[in-house]
Amino acid sequence: KVVDEKNQPLPGATVKAQSSNVSAATDANGDFTINLPAGEQSVVVSFVGYANMVQALNGQDQLTIKLNPNSKNLEDVVVIGYGTQRREAVTGSVASIGGDKMREVPAPNISQAIQGRLPGVDISQTSTRPGATTQILIRGQRSLTASNDPLIVLDGIPFVGSLADINPNDVKSIDILKDASATAIYGSRGANGVILITTNRGQMGGNAKITYNAYYGTQEVFAPYPMMNGPEFVALRKAAGKFTNGADEADDVNIDWQNLLYRTGTVNSHDFGVSGGSQTGSYNFGGGYYKNQAVIPTQQYTRYSLRGSVDQQVAKIFKVGFTTNNNYNLTEGSQVGIYGALSSSPIANPYNADGSLKRTIKMPQDETYILTKDIVNNLQDEWLNETRGFATYNSIYGEAQIPWVKGLKYRVNLGLDFIQNNNGYYTGQGINSSVPTSLSVAGVTNSQNYHWVVENLLTYDRTFAEKHNFNVTALYSEEQTKYNSSSMSAKNIPSDAFQFYNLGQATGEITIGNGNYSLSGLRSYMGRVMYSYDDKYLISATLRSDASSRLAPGYKWHTYPAVSLGWNVNNESFMKDVSWVNRAKVRLGYGQTSNQAVNAYQTLGALNTRQYNFGETNYATGYYVTQLPNAALGWEYSENWNYGLDFTLFNNRLSGTVEYYVNNTKDLLLSVGLPPTSGVNSYTANVGRTQNKGLELSLNGTIINNKNGWTWDLGFNIYANRNKLVALASGQTRDEGNGWFVGHNINSIFDYEYQGLWQEGDPYLNILEPGGNVGMIKVKYTGPVDANGQPTRAIGAADRQIIDVDPDFQGGFNTRVAYKGFDFTMVGAFKSGGVLISTLYGSGGYLNMLTGRRNNVKVDYWTPENTDARYPKPGGIQSGDNPKYGSTLGYFDASYLKIRTMSLGYNLGQLLPKSSKINIRTYFTVQNAFVLFSPYHKESGMDPETNSFGNENAAVPLPESQRRFLTIGTNTPSTRNFILGLNVTF
Amino acid sequence: CSKVLDEQPRSVFTPEYFKTEQGVIGGLTAMYSHLRNIYGQAYYYNSGVTGTDEATWGQSADGNFKDMDNSGVGSLLSTSFPSSILWGEAFPNINTASGVIENASAVGLSTALIAEARFFRAFDYFLLVQTFGGVPLDLGSGELKFNTIPSRKSVRNTVPQVYTKAIFPDLLQAITDLPQTGRVTGGLTKTAARLILSKAYLTYGWWLQNPNGIPTYPAADRTDPDGHNAQWYFQQAYDIAITAIDDPGSFGLQPTFYDVNLAQNDRNKEMVLYADHTQTSEKYNGGSLTFGSGGAPDNFAGWMMTWNYPNIKSSGVNSVLREADQHLGRPWVRMAPTIEVLKNTFADKVNDSRYDGTFTTVYRGNWNKGGNTTPTLINANGLPIAPGDAVLTFLNEDNPNVTYATENANVGAGVLPGRADFVISPGAISRIIYPGLWKLGPYRTDKGNGLGEANAGSTRPYPILKFSELYFIAAEAAIKGATAQANKSARDLINVIRARAGKWRFDNNGNKAKVEDNSAAMVAATPANVDLNYLLAERSREFYAEGGRWLDLIRTQKWTELAATYTIGGTSFGDHTPVKVTRTIDNHLYLRPIPQGQIDGLEMSAAEKAAYQNPGY
Repeated sequence: KVVDEKNQPLPGATVKAQSSNVSAATDANGDFTINLPAGEQSVVVSFVGYANMVQALNGQDQLTIKLNPNSKNLEDVVVIGYGTQRREAVTGSVASIGGDKMREVPAPNISQAIQGRLPGVDISQTSTRPGATTQILIRGQRSLTASNDPLIVLDGIPFVGSLADINPNDVKSIDILKDASATAIYGSRGANGVILITTNRGQMGGNAKITYNAYYGTQEVFAPYPMMNGPEFVALRKAAGKFTNGADEADDVNIDWQNLLYRTGTVNSHDFGVSGGSQTGSYNFGGGYYKNQAVIPTQQYTRYSLRGSVDQQVAKIFKVGFTTNNNYNLTEGSQVGIYGALSSSPIANPYNADGSLKRTIKMPQDETYILTKDIVNNLQDEWLNETRGFATYNSIYGEAQIPWVKGLKYRVNLGLDFIQNNNGYYTGQGINSSVPTSLSVAGVTNSQNYHWVVENLLTYDRTFAEKHNFNVTALYSEEQTKYNSSSMSAKNIPSDAFQFYNLGQATGEITIGNGNYSLSGLRSYMGRVMYSYDDKYLISATLRSDASSRLAPGYKWHTYPAVSLGWNVNNESFMKDVSWVNRAKVRLGYGQTSNQAVNAYQTLGALNTRQYNFGETNYATGYYVTQLPNAALGWEYSENWNYGLDFTLFNNRLSGTVEYYVNNTKDLLLSVGLPPTSGVNSYTANVGRTQNKGLELSLNGTIINNKNGWTWDLGFNIYANRNKLVALASGQTRDEGNGWFVGHNINSIFDYEYQGLWQEGDPYLNILEPGGNVGMIKVKYTGPVDANGQPTRAIGAADRQIIDVDPDFQGGFNTRVAYKGFDFTMVGAFKSGGVLISTLYGSGGYLNMLTGRRNNVKVDYWTPENTDARYPKPGGIQSGDNPKYGSTLGYFDASYLKIRTMSLGYNLGQLLPKSSKINIRTYFTVQNAFVLFSPYHKESGMDPETNSFGNENAAVPLPESQRRFLTIGTNTPSTRNFILGLNVTF
Repeated sequence: CSKVLDEQPRSVFTPEYFKTEQGVIGGLTAMYSHLRNIYGQAYYYNSGVTGTDEATWGQSADGNFKDMDNSGVGSLLSTSFPSSILWGEAFPNINTASGVIENASAVGLSTALIAEARFFRAFDYFLLVQTFGGVPLDLGSGELKFNTIPSRKSVRNTVPQVYTKAIFPDLLQAITDLPQTGRVTGGLTKTAARLILSKAYLTYGWWLQNPNGIPTYPAADRTDPDGHNAQWYFQQAYDIAITAIDDPGSFGLQPTFYDVNLAQNDRNKEMVLYADHTQTSEKYNGGSLTFGSGGAPDNFAGWMMTWNYPNIKSSGVNSVLREADQHLGRPWVRMAPTIEVLKNTFADKVNDSRYDGTFTTVYRGNWNKGGNTTPTLINANGLPIAPGDAVLTFLNEDNPNVTYATENANVGAGVLPGRADFVISPGAISRIIYPGLWKLGPYRTDKGNGLGEANAGSTRPYPILKFSELYFIAAEAAIKGATAQANKSARDLINVIRARAGKWRFDNNGNKAKVEDNSAAMVAATPANVDLNYLLAERSREFYAEGGRWLDLIRTQKWTELAATYTIGGTSFGDHTPVKVTRTIDNHLYLRPIPQGQIDGLEMSAAEKAAYQNPGY
């Protein structure tokens, strides 16, 4: 009998005699019978996802063999797109993680769970709000203005929804195709990598299995935003000398506005499933519930998910099945921001003499509506913003063996998806406004997304003469996505009870927003041949042709070739005696892929509208050209070389992969900003080239292998990507308007370089900074000097520098220590170098104005007595409302090492009688435990992970065109979570 | 077969739409709409006022304002925002105009509509050429052609080319084709085109003459390609302005100066062109009706020269609350008038109604509108005041008996024996406390008995061209030597304006009826010889802080002379010590820097980029 680590039977495991070819498979109960040759001393047992086990017979003829899950050995089968492949035969670059392994990090969505765990897969937080998703970059960024998002494929069907729609509990495995030899089968969508998500299915012949997983946790603010307290602020205002106390301010008041607003958040997840099968079919059904209440009152995310899959053999040659993944989710409370709490003066008293709260506080120039957790909670029916999402992802397939050709199969996949989002908001009269009579406003936005895909696949899989294995796949597919949205808003809703449910009754202005429509399609042909000789020499060749509606006529088609080779060195006879090498494979791949991720209709140009009124009530809409057409818009494509080495050593105790790649992207799809004198803002064109080169290493080792009950596994990955722009349009090397510079990162900042502060007696202050003052920021001067070393001009635009933002290297690690029923796991991630942009400290955030107008982030600022500070003299020379060159204060070293989760589990099943077949595991997890080696954390105490796109969460955010820079802004604070969980299986 | 690959946009307009009649008319609407990205945009406004003899930076001024003051607290750079606004707005509009002109005949549009596009193209080129010197006429597809080529190169034409190829021909055609009365409220007319053309001729005449040797850029001889001399242009300016005055259509002067700027009279017959706004629709107003964010297309210019009056306290209570009222509005304290403005420009505050019709000098209690039902509050000298009573008054003349104390009204005001209101002498104003700008104050009819939406941008139209300016243009041309018609000398024309300024029907800051006609006294006070300095001072009295002062001063090359020094108090309440400040106004400042965004966006060599920039930046 073969059982898993929970003593559950493992059907389908292979039991093989160690010294001969005799083998057998286990049945539905995990039982097997094998006829061993005489003298055989041991058997080798293998199963997908489990470590191979060599079991000595010791003369027994009844054995119960227990296998331990072992992802270090990597799943034996990987999903490669339009099929699966034995890991041994894979020639492309594929990183995989099993569902169980992934769930060691309890997270609301897959991308957060795998953050830092796979080399070359850079997952960055883009928001800290409940239900938020992340940005995924596979092997760096290659496109400047087109999308850099990887293609996601859910159970074989290209996925058009949000990763948040997939319940992590449903996931069986995630396989990420990283190089073009692997992704070329997705042709025009392969350039940014492909994430293949496979959900759980039942097993034929298995007993019904019921699972229940749950966890509950609390969330505390990881660190409050480091704002000044009362006395610190009084000192700042005095030092700046610009403002006297406003109506509600007094020097002896000390209010912690964040403390008044934040609450303790919670996270709550329940999930159940049932799966099983008969001799001819299998099923898997389940449901999940997830809820996260943020530390900001009323902010929360709730998700209900339902899934099901059925596979059924019909007669001998037909097989049919379907998969359905559905979820309903609710995102609430996004209208509650924290800028007010952060910028409110700590010396402004929110209380009246009788102890009641005021409506607003008056500072010298600003009047701010008071938000505390009680106020926000009490207003929840009059002040709300909620988005209700419903998504259903469905696929059905039919498969037929062609009876007269052995190994030939035809399969048709039909995918049908529908996604709907429904947003509504309501703000009652005077709420969050300094004016109590401000009219109530309400609005509704609806969007629908329809997606269908049909794939016709012919596969031929056969081994000739035991050594020649062929796998041939041919595909013809078509798909189409339709999106449309509408919105409306209204003022002066007659009753708070209406909220946003009856805008027609509004007595104020009713505005119909812009509708949005897009329909885009893709037609494809693909062929792939995989051949292996004796499991030693492997070759895979792919050709795909794609046509996209989004590109200009005549430029719609492009063909993508890819070839990859593999050599299983360990299968060579000369390796027979090298016993410490269990497996070694050398891989080489080349492929082309591309990126069609421009929006529909980009080739056609665009008019913008702007409104006007001729007199009080004669309204009109105007049009003007903002984008010129480009009738020659074609594909942006990447050429990729990949070199890999996979190895398993020391009796399968150490395994790893080393890869090197070069990825050249050409004909970049760019929205090119034009100078104002062209009369037009921009046009989309194929210009420029980028390059990504990188090295990736992952190692997994078993340090202690079941010694006296102890097991210790360690996993580690590190990767470095070098990203640069190779060429821009028409031979230019710099495009300052768009911030693109040849030889630098796509993400490079073009700004002055901070070099400290001007001190008393520093030469040339009056030349370099006319009107400047001692204590102001000193930036690098690059202009000429005369014979005496004296600068000849003032500092100006010519002195701006190019600052590369990408990190030097990053990676992650995980470890698992188990002793009897206990296990301890830890998952961490790290990053070294690069630039972190914090709008909190920079000028865009309006929280480091150093004028004393509003509260200020707590910084060490220059005064005549404190001259070695980093931050300039309060009240000194300004550019706009901020210190001159204030943006340079927002750049930090992005390095950090973070322990993402620490988890202690105990297997209660140990305590139950073996016959009960019940397995219960409980665990306690701490998430976001602590941060080390982070200069930003050291300065601010905050989480050094980004929480916003560049154009979000700042008083004056970066322009839309610089959304690509991830920043730390004034978003919901990052939290430290304490989670208690339970898994039950029977 | 390839249906999946076809494209048919259904929610966005493509440039093809521009070839339909509705598209062309929409193009015209976009041109009107672009006006409010310039006029009422406070940072652009600031660039035409701060640093002139009309205003300096205020206590809360940021670099955008200090840079413009040329007084050593900042310097104007290519990266400065205020000077880049016009550049960014004008070229897309010029291109839209060229598109309308090219497509209009194809769709059978009337010449009157095409003339509107011609007007706007000329209007923007005229603003550009005054501000930056020569600018490109070819945006990529040829001179004055609708640009369909994504060009990242640019060549600047010279000043005479811009005038003679673009501005003059377009406006001459526009005068012929535009109607006497606008096709829509605020629509373009012959009068508007005559006003701009006469001003353009006048400005070009000055440029040809160049009395103070101010350099131009790109380099160009001061000779006219059309073969005329400066004198010819001054005469044209005079003649066209007089034609406009004699053939006014629906336009004319208001009976009193107060009526010109009174919100209830918005869009009156004196307003030849304005950037319109509305309080009835947020969508069509283009900006929030509750909380303006401080950006175009909001009309938020009026916030700049409004001091933080809600700081005023009467016996501990905020007695003058932020209100959407023409006297009050949202305080940003970014700009301030100088003491010279109050004492010299507006020396006559008795006969001349324009001081009273320009500033808020009396701040009246409105605490009742904020929900405080206290019937009276104790104010200066322990005397009670009721809502509507004066809380703080800026006196017309310096009074040696005023005693100041920092705690007075919480704003360092003064008291005069027996007066219940706090007072401040004109010589005691500072960068933090000064009379507000009543002219541009907000006005709402939807505030009931409350304070209203004082934080929104003003929903009033922003004035761009007034009929009265024709008198100044003709007078200036006459001073420059144009032959005047009988009874239309420079002095005669100015006296029309001055006589009107002597007429009162309401005491604005006294808040009571005042029917007086001081026209005779006003005319009697006009000097026999109206010279350029007198005309400029008169212009400032008439159009104070409306945004055009810098253009007047650079046209007449009087900026350095008239704005070289000013006096004002400091930046904290209670500081009433006037400080004399000297400005450094170099010749290079007579042209604004080409915005860095333009230079950065060009695909040209470093040398070509350097040559694209105006000298000195």
